[in-house]
Amino acid sequence: MAARRPSAALSAALAERHVLVVCGAGGVGKTTTAAALGLEAARLGRRALVCTIDPSRRLATSLGLGQLSQKPRRLPLGRFGVAAEGEMWAMTLDTKGTFDSLVERFAGSEAARRRILGNRFYQQVSAALAGTHEYMAMEKLLELSADARFDLVILDTPPTRHALDFLEAPDRMMSFLDASVLRWFLKPYFVAGRLTLKVATRTGAALLGLVDRYLGLQFLQDLSEFFLAFEAMYDGFKERAARVFGLLREPTSGFVLVASPAQASLDEVLYFHRRLEEKRMPFVALVVNRLHPQPSGPARRRASAAVSPGLAAKLAEVLAEEHLVARAEHRRVGRVEVDIGRRPVPVPELESDVHDLRGLAEVAGALFGSA
Amino acid sequence: MLGSGPVILDRLLERRLVVISGKGGVGKSVTGAALALAAVKSGRRTLLVEVDSPLEATRYLGARPAGGSVREARPGLFTVNLSPSAVMDEYVRHVVKLEMLARRILDSPVYHRFFAAAPGLRELMVLGKIMTLEEERESWSRRPRYDLVIVDAPATGHGLSFLKVPRAASEAVPVGPIGVNARRIQALLQDPKRTALLVVAIPEEMAVVEAAWFHRLATKELGLDCAGIVLNAASEERFSRAEEAEVLRLTAEKADLGPALPAARRQIRRRKRTRFYEKRLAALDAPLVSLPFLPDDPIGPEALERLVARLEEA
Repeated sequence: MAARRPSAALSAALAERHVLVVCGAGGVGKTTTAAALGLEAARLGRRALVCTIDPSRRLATSLGLGQLSQKPRRLPLGRFGVAAEGEMWAMTLDTKGTFDSLVERFAGSEAARRRILGNRFYQQVSAALAGTHEYMAMEKLLELSADARFDLVILDTPPTRHALDFLEAPDRMMSFLDASVLRWFLKPYFVAGRLTLKVATRTGAALLGLVDRYLGLQFLQDLSEFFLAFEAMYDGFKERAARVFGLLREPTSGFVLVASPAQASLDEVLYFHRRLEEKRMPFVALVVNRLHPQPSGPARRRASAAVSPGLAAKLAEVLAEEHLVARAEHRRVGRVEVDIGRRPVPVPELESDVHDLRGLAEVAGALFGSA
Repeated sequence: MLGSGPVILDRLLERRLVVISGKGGVGKSVTGAALALAAVKSGRRTLLVEVDSPLEATRYLGARPAGGSVREARPGLFTVNLSPSAVMDEYVRHVVKLEMLARRILDSPVYHRFFAAAPGLRELMVLGKIMTLEEERESWSRRPRYDLVIVDAPATGHGLSFLKVPRAASEAVPVGPIGVNARRIQALLQDPKRTALLVVAIPEEMAVVEAAWFHRLATKELGLDCAGIVLNAASEERFSRAEEAEVLRLTAEKADLGPALPAARRQIRRRKRTRFYEKRLAALDAPLVSLPFLPDDPIGPEALERLVARLEEA
């Protein structure tokens, strides 16, 4: 058997698995990688959907589409001369919309639904609460993974500063919504509707006094209302969250980590990889984007007579600089390989930015060596 | 375009607070460190603030990682790494004067579950802390402790909501000290005499799209003054027109020069891309400065000096 390509595990995952989650810090080419994976999956004959949270229309840009809809849309691969047996679909995720529809699903009554959707705190929270994007991305993943139109869903995770936010955020959000913790000091307050405090503990009373002094009565009322309304839905939310985590642990799911050759980026995926192991979530591959080409031996001598002396000197200079950069990058990536025990999939710096499906096909080619 | 270095530097150094923003991975930290160094060289006592990233900028300065309290990394150059949860704990201690009570609050599950995840509260606390640092005065002379405070803001996306928080907070919590503080932070950010925004990008489509988007939102929607745009990792002009033509000719002739020709072509391409994005960014309503790609690994004080020189030169 020929030596396995570094991309072998990735190809196998694209051919067999049902859910792939693409993770990495912002700015490492995560979205483009996710899209290229979708394209390759379509080539392998699968019906693949790429779903992204897209505050700045990244995926749309890399697909050459002006706008991506919040409903899955099938991409015209043939029109760009990309031959594929399968299908490639793409969509963006609307966090607020997903949250709203969750509320609609779990709110027991029309009145409860209206109370929450109209709550000022909810309106702020559903967009701004730490972890909402990540939680909603997972929520959507659950829904899409059950959609019969697709046999592979590729989730491009929200752009976070730290890749790890994606795994931690839902826990943080669920903790926040855990009404049972807050009830004991908010509910009596709300029910009383005024400043008379009947709180069991001194700490609770102090905390409440603090909140009231610093945040004001109106805010507290909005907040209490929000939690009271949410209380009934909490179990539903929690159950969904547990199912998402279950889904991510399935052997038919997998995580693809994306990094740039910068040390900070590599450190971060290493950490993420460790956390995946701790959480027993299946790791598929590490993709390292924008690598400079590996130095292939010393710069060749013999500046042929045809090269002007000025140019010859500059050629040597540019080549030497490139070697310097490439060596440092490969050294760093080599260390990561030792740590995760699997060869990273290298993607060389591309000739141009990805503007359309053709460009995306080039990325896929670089990933899978088919170009 | 390339001559706007000193313009940008002058515009930045006359403020009290500079907030650096851009997509992740575009070199905000290295830009912040270079700017801090330039400010110190101009005789300003400078504080470089990082948020939740203990290793970044100080590493470029060749200093120990910044801690939670302000430290002098070099004469006149101070660094601090703000951890949102530590800032929040400090705030609680400040408000609740009784240490025992404060500790009980800080230890309580409600505090951890609610306050740690409450939307925007961490960002607001961090911004509040930055404002406090900006306002700090020496006890004897009453002059400001720092002439310039540089904030390496969390990456865009996060970064924008970071700057949006004061307005959202003053709307959600109209009364009380939080609301008052949010409005004071807002006033500081919006005052072009005191605060400037510096947007950072690299010559890549997504980074430039995001920089343009951020510039528009920050200036049009949030009312911040964008004093400049930095294009990091810019490729330098290496070959003259004639030499470029020669490279193409040699390529067509399949001249046997080993890896040198492909490397040259890649360099020419990168240079072209840099020029293309310089044009795009120059179209935004802010002066642009290009900083060269640094091949050094790791980037240390020497490499940083080259960026400083570029910021200073005409």
